[in-house]
Amino acid sequence: MALLARGELRSILQTEMPNALDTRWDTQATDQPEAHGEGQTVLLDFDAVVKAEALVEVAHFIRDKFGYDLLSNITAVDYLKQGLIEVVYQFYNAAEGGPDLRVRVRIGRSPEECIVPSLTPTWPGADLQEREAYDMYGVVFPGHPNLARIYMWDEFKGFPMRKDFPKTGDKYTHVTGE
Amino acid sequence: MLKTEELQINIGPQHPSTHGVFRMLVTVDGETLVDLKPVFGYLHRNHEQLGEVNTYLQNMPFTDRLDYFNSMVNNHAYARAVETLAGVEVPERAQYIRVIMDELSRILNHATAMGFMLGDMGAWQTALLWGMREREKILDMFEYVSGARMMCNYCRFGGVVRDIDDWFITELKKLMQGLPHYFDDFEGLLLNSEILLARARNIGVLPKELALAYSVTGPVLRGSGVAYDIRKAEPYAVYDRFKFKVPVGTVGDVYDRFLVRIAEMRESYKILEQALEQLPDATGGFINPKVKQQSLKAPAGEAYARVESPKGELGFYLVSDGSGSAYRYKVRAPSFINLSSLADMCKGYSIADVVVILGSIDIVMGEVDR
Amino acid sequence: MTLSHLATEDVFVVERNDADFRAGQGMTKGLGIVFRKFRKALFGKPNSDRADTEGQFNVQYPEERLVLPEAYRNMPILLYDDATGHELCTSCFQCERICPPQVIHITQAKDPATGKPVPAAANFVLEYDTCMSCGYCAEVCPFDAIKMDHDFELSTGNHPELDVNYDRLLRPISYYEAIAPTMWSDVKEQAMKKLQNNIKRRPGAIGRDHGQKVKGGAAVAVAATPVAGAAPAAAAKPRGPVAAIGKNMPEEKVAKLISIRAANAAKRGGGDAAAAPVAEAAPIVETVVDTPAASAAPSGPVAAIGQNMSEDKRAKLEAIRAAKRAQRGE
Repeated sequence: MALLARGELRSILQTEMPNALDTRWDTQATDQPEAHGEGQTVLLDFDAVVKAEALVEVAHFIRDKFGYDLLSNITAVDYLKQGLIEVVYQFYNAAEGGPDLRVRVRIGRSPEECIVPSLTPTWPGADLQEREAYDMYGVVFPGHPNLARIYMWDEFKGFPMRKDFPKTGDKYTHVTGE
Repeated sequence: MLKTEELQINIGPQHPSTHGVFRMLVTVDGETLVDLKPVFGYLHRNHEQLGEVNTYLQNMPFTDRLDYFNSMVNNHAYARAVETLAGVEVPERAQYIRVIMDELSRILNHATAMGFMLGDMGAWQTALLWGMREREKILDMFEYVSGARMMCNYCRFGGVVRDIDDWFITELKKLMQGLPHYFDDFEGLLLNSEILLARARNIGVLPKELALAYSVTGPVLRGSGVAYDIRKAEPYAVYDRFKFKVPVGTVGDVYDRFLVRIAEMRESYKILEQALEQLPDATGGFINPKVKQQSLKAPAGEAYARVESPKGELGFYLVSDGSGSAYRYKVRAPSFINLSSLADMCKGYSIADVVVILGSIDIVMGEVDR
Repeated sequence: MTLSHLATEDVFVVERNDADFRAGQGMTKGLGIVFRKFRKALFGKPNSDRADTEGQFNVQYPEERLVLPEAYRNMPILLYDDATGHELCTSCFQCERICPPQVIHITQAKDPATGKPVPAAANFVLEYDTCMSCGYCAEVCPFDAIKMDHDFELSTGNHPELDVNYDRLLRPISYYEAIAPTMWSDVKEQAMKKLQNNIKRRPGAIGRDHGQKVKGGAAVAVAATPVAGAAPAAAAKPRGPVAAIGKNMPEEKVAKLISIRAANAAKRGGGDAAAAPVAEAAPIVETVVDTPAASAAPSGPVAAIGQNMSEDKRAKLEAIRAAKRAQRGE
């Protein structure tokens, strides 16, 4: 049980579970900015970017080996220009305190690719957060017991927090009865 | 044995004990609860998208409306997130002022939360009004210093909007004179009250391991016996300079959560005392004058800052693309995530206990639905 | 569980009462405290000190009012100079830009002769219904023209009138000085200096042509010794935001409103249907000049009544008021 510094997990995973790391971002330097939108967005790389299918394994690994047992926050971020959705998992070590450990998954935006295995069976606290990520970003979590919309109503079409969701003029405000 | 039939009941969305517009779809077998499904979204206003449209400064008053009991804490957490992102330094005096406001918020939140919980139990109004009375005194002081009682909008990047003056400090000292009596009275009134003992002991038990798995934070987690307090685990502002203790429970029931909150109020009082003693003079300023508040641009990157809000871990996750507003703005709302444990806590208890257990989590729907 | 980030003396376990025997001791103790407080509240004097935890805490609103702190912010107002009638606003659009809910709409004044912009606002509309009272507009204003009002009694049954325009936003500086003396004295010097500079660049009546500021007249009379509190201040201000409909609204809006009302009245088919809209429309034709009588009237909402009402309604109201006055023994 020990605290990991930023970026340390990446090197550990390289030796311990080389297949888990998402190699697409290996070639980039850790702080190389990528053009995005009007400004610049860094797809930060000093945390571990893991393959979606290896997520559950990695999460268990850091919990059992390093004591990161408190899954605090799940954030989905839509990188429209890169055609990616990034899901960031933040773990804390409840016994040792200290800063968070971030594990990332980067997946495509199309419905076929936008799939991340659910952590709810092990961390039931992920339940509502995964539902929120599904509702707002359309990330599908297989293994989730009740993956339904959480804020929007069930008949709602589209994922409102995605960057390409129209900001003005939606069909729901002008419905005159069908 | 008689054959029983399960029955589905909706509690809420407009029910006085749901603390806002919140619906619970419960399945009961007789009086016993078999299943509970929380239903959200009645207060959803896509706060996170607003945060992506607004500039950093413009978003500050919107954070007031998350957990409207503790707008000071919300401001602090959001200001800290932006300060981390943009690399802004905060003068020491401002850090102390923020700590004072946070701890006052904690006292007023716990006092009213416990009042509401007692209201849910049937000890209607007396305890609540006692909590409200103390809250009112503190809100008056918030109003003096920030201009509003609840929607304070007090923090700015690199400090606070207005310095605290002698009037505030004198009145705060007067207020603190009364606080120990208030805590004693509150404990005397409730601690061994038969209503509380009957309705809270061994109700809604959340064991330690389950509490961690459910990612609950704040008094709920500490009530279950995990001594995890962000003020100790990852000290922010100037919390590492104060001596205070972290109260924990043993069983993890409603009663433990209640006791932890009462104990936390006393600890907050201790922090307030030390903060007033250590408060630096005004020479260092209360705001960093170099920060361009209105046109603040954060370099591309991401930042996560969290504070120990009275309800748990309140965090803001910001991704910047270098422009004047956040590219992604996510709120890690404590009451929302604490709610995920509700179903498990309620199963097996009677339906009348559901509202008590919900009251012991201490939720605010402004934060849950965002 | 090992807790290496916490020293053992930093954690304590709360003490539970797990006794099974209960005979009402806890309840009795609690009731004892309640009765003690109750006695103090009944026979004690009203409580003003923050240190007290006993006694009477209630304030009998609206007869009694708490003193509002200077920093208190409710809705934004615009200031004008008492002496010259010049408005402090120069339409720099800073507040419009910062406003988080985007409820400020400014039109810049133009010199009619040259067509060049003048440092004054031609119109200034603020949607009070959407305003979130954050106070940013007052914070960023470089000319100290926009300030936060202390008047919080804005409830109205008429939604459109919450789009408040220039005439109803304006308050004299003396009003603001009365509600926030130190905050005004901090900025007074620079604000007045900037105003003098701006006046030089304003041709004609631009910058002081918004309605009811009768120079030196009764309309701008302000209570000489203001008590910190909303009530006396409300009586002194030229016109509260709860003024009559149609009185200070843009032309087209008024016309729309009248047509809607006429349509509604026709739908009802009542006897006074035809008369009502005409009677209501009448005051709009008048120029917007605040008569001394109107501003001398007791307070905002009451003053507004009677301006645009049908005759019989007004008579009824007068009767009610007279009865009330008699009741109070005036």
